[in-house]
Amino acid sequence: MFRIIKRFSSQLTKTYQDVVIIGGGPAGLTLLTALKTSPITKNLKCTLIEGTNLDKVRQFNDPPEYYTNRVVSVTPKSIEFMKHIGSWDYIHEDRIKQYDGIIAYDSQDSESRIEFDVSNIGKDMLASMCEVINIQYSLLTKIESLEDDTINIKDNIKVIDIINPVEPDMNHDLNEIDKNTAIPELDWPIVKLSNGESIQTRLLIGADGYNSPVRKFAHIESRGWQYNKFGVVATVKLQFEDFRSVGWQRFLTTGPLAILPLTEDNATIVWSCTPELSDLFLKINEKIFPHLITAAMVLDEVDLNYIYEVLKENPDDFSILKDIEWRLSKFDPLTLEQNYPLPVVEVISNSRARFPLKMSHADTYISSRVALIGDAAHTIHPLAGQGLNMGQSDVSALVEALEKGMQRGMDIGSPLVLENYVSNAWPSNHMLLGVCDKLHKIFSTDFYPIVFARGIGMKSINMIDTVKDFMMKQISGK
Amino acid sequence: MSVQLQFKRNFILPLILTSSVTRILFSESNVLANKIESGLHYLDPNKKMTRELEKNNQPFKRRTPDYPGHVPLYNHEKLLMFLGSSIGSFFHPERNEFIVALGESTAIKPILKNLQSTMLSNAIGRQILREKPRITSTSLNLDYLRSLPDNTIGKSYINWLDREGVSPDTRVAVKYIDNEELAYIFQRYRECHDFYHAITGLPIIIEGEIAVKVFEFMNIGIPMSGLGALFAPLRLKKSQRRRLREIYYPWALQSGLNSKPLINVYWEKILEKDVDEFRKEMHIEQPPDLRNMRKEYFEMKRREKEGMKL
Repeated sequence: MFRIIKRFSSQLTKTYQDVVIIGGGPAGLTLLTALKTSPITKNLKCTLIEGTNLDKVRQFNDPPEYYTNRVVSVTPKSIEFMKHIGSWDYIHEDRIKQYDGIIAYDSQDSESRIEFDVSNIGKDMLASMCEVINIQYSLLTKIESLEDDTINIKDNIKVIDIINPVEPDMNHDLNEIDKNTAIPELDWPIVKLSNGESIQTRLLIGADGYNSPVRKFAHIESRGWQYNKFGVVATVKLQFEDFRSVGWQRFLTTGPLAILPLTEDNATIVWSCTPELSDLFLKINEKIFPHLITAAMVLDEVDLNYIYEVLKENPDDFSILKDIEWRLSKFDPLTLEQNYPLPVVEVISNSRARFPLKMSHADTYISSRVALIGDAAHTIHPLAGQGLNMGQSDVSALVEALEKGMQRGMDIGSPLVLENYVSNAWPSNHMLLGVCDKLHKIFSTDFYPIVFARGIGMKSINMIDTVKDFMMKQISGK
Repeated sequence: MSVQLQFKRNFILPLILTSSVTRILFSESNVLANKIESGLHYLDPNKKMTRELEKNNQPFKRRTPDYPGHVPLYNHEKLLMFLGSSIGSFFHPERNEFIVALGESTAIKPILKNLQSTMLSNAIGRQILREKPRITSTSLNLDYLRSLPDNTIGKSYINWLDREGVSPDTRVAVKYIDNEELAYIFQRYRECHDFYHAITGLPIIIEGEIAVKVFEFMNIGIPMSGLGALFAPLRLKKSQRRRLREIYYPWALQSGLNSKPLINVYWEKILEKDVDEFRKEMHIEQPPDLRNMRKEYFEMKRREKEGMKL
């Protein structure tokens, strides 16, 4: 009798799904949208589980006055994909800034610089700056507009455990005769949720970020390293709207500092720096910080180190502004105007935040009935602004693989189907990760021979248009 | 039968032909058409300005000076100046123009940049660069210095000046170093040189000069002082060289390396400070007095001579 009740209750709480996506970030939401808009895969039963409340994303319907500080660069290729799946129609277009060039230069030698101008390859934009929450909002709105009852979005619910019903015993004797030739139970992973539910799924997707529990469940090793650096982000206001609409990046030895344009006089900064400096940057007086950014885009590193020292003593030391002004006055005003970004005049209160920088890449993105996308599969240094775009191309490759599998009548959880996804997505991601990692390393030194060599490298790349065009095509996604 | 020699006037026809063809080719409308084809069929109003601009872009024209009194030199000129002044100053170290030119031609950019970053990393160094003080007999008020107590920096400086019979105005203005700030740094180094003599108490005679140069080179790294320290002893007497080797070189090397950068000292602001205290702060040891030592040495020689006579 007791047994029957137990069996009954377990049947009650257990549901079966085709795809369970863990993580409601841009990658997870994009995958859900892509699956439900593809004519081939739209009948799959899908569930998305997100730990935080998605109402915050829904509230973006009425966006705040100032920009949020999580802003990403979205390449034309990613935009094309989001147009294809139909979510781009719902984006707040007025909060997107297209920019058509990047000017990157070296702090040790302001002469060595690369100027990318996208008009040389006959396109009208290199990439667009867009808030992460804007993308999430557009995707979520698109999903909800489908009014599809096979979509299940469970927000504010945490995953407690993931169980593999047929966990293979790794230490078994190879000569022993296998007793369970036929699996009595389904080999689909079981996801246990904080609300007591458990879902058994044909395919489990890990879109759950750097510390991915799904990746750990699948025993996929992720390799890489911490840079021991932090990225400080903030939303700032420039002196006036810059007609140039280019992104600026200066390679300081402590890490690159980038000022990227947003609409009107708004801009966003990403400043990679040591942990101590990131502490300092979050602490510095709100009225001093904008001047520090302006100084860091122009002044020599000796000056910056002195300024840091003074501000470490007292983060509200306004006397430093005079010092910055004096050092800036050493520059020819015309050069300042032409070769450097506009001065920053204001930082939006409470927009400063930091996050640790690291490089990591999973050995593979799949195992039986599991696939990883986005940050769960790879994390990258933000210096080329490729993080979100790599996630989008993952989704596009995964959906393509699943479509192919469906059309051939295969089980979409089978490695035979998923293999296709890894072989398409992994190599290009690996190359990008490597390039960004090396760039970071080359520029984080002031050792003169290397400074000299990279100066030659940058100047010659800047002169050879074919190389530059090739690089621009890579950055903007072909 | 008379043969009439007749001059055949066959040039008339060609003349007419040529003139008519020319008239067609170089007619007013054709000339205008040619001008239109080449792009300028009107008078260029900017002609005068363009010519003037071109004049400015002439090759081998010296660029505009970075600061008043600056003489921008080409690299080959700097090299020639270095060669000439180094030979000159080896044979005539007493002639100031050679020493000055050698100093400026060896102060190459990386070294000055290095010195600049030393100054920029220090609050007082930055203050000096911002205020750009000059040390002259008018900026210092020498009479006030004479009235200071004995053991102050100001007093030992003025004592040193009086003893050696020199004046702060004997320092020449920097002319050949590019970039205003770097030039000022070299000027500052030059003007502070007398203070190094004052705080070390070493005289202006050649041994003292060499010792201060080594000290300076170890502390500041201006190559001129290194060169001086390297080549000047070649002209010395044996006894002088021994004195240098045994007493002054060890002192200069040790003090120069251990002391804080002297270029970051705002001398004008610490004239009232005690010399011993200052030396302790900067980690400088005092060398033995060269004048006294020389006096003792000559005394000894004289006595030896007298002894021989007796």
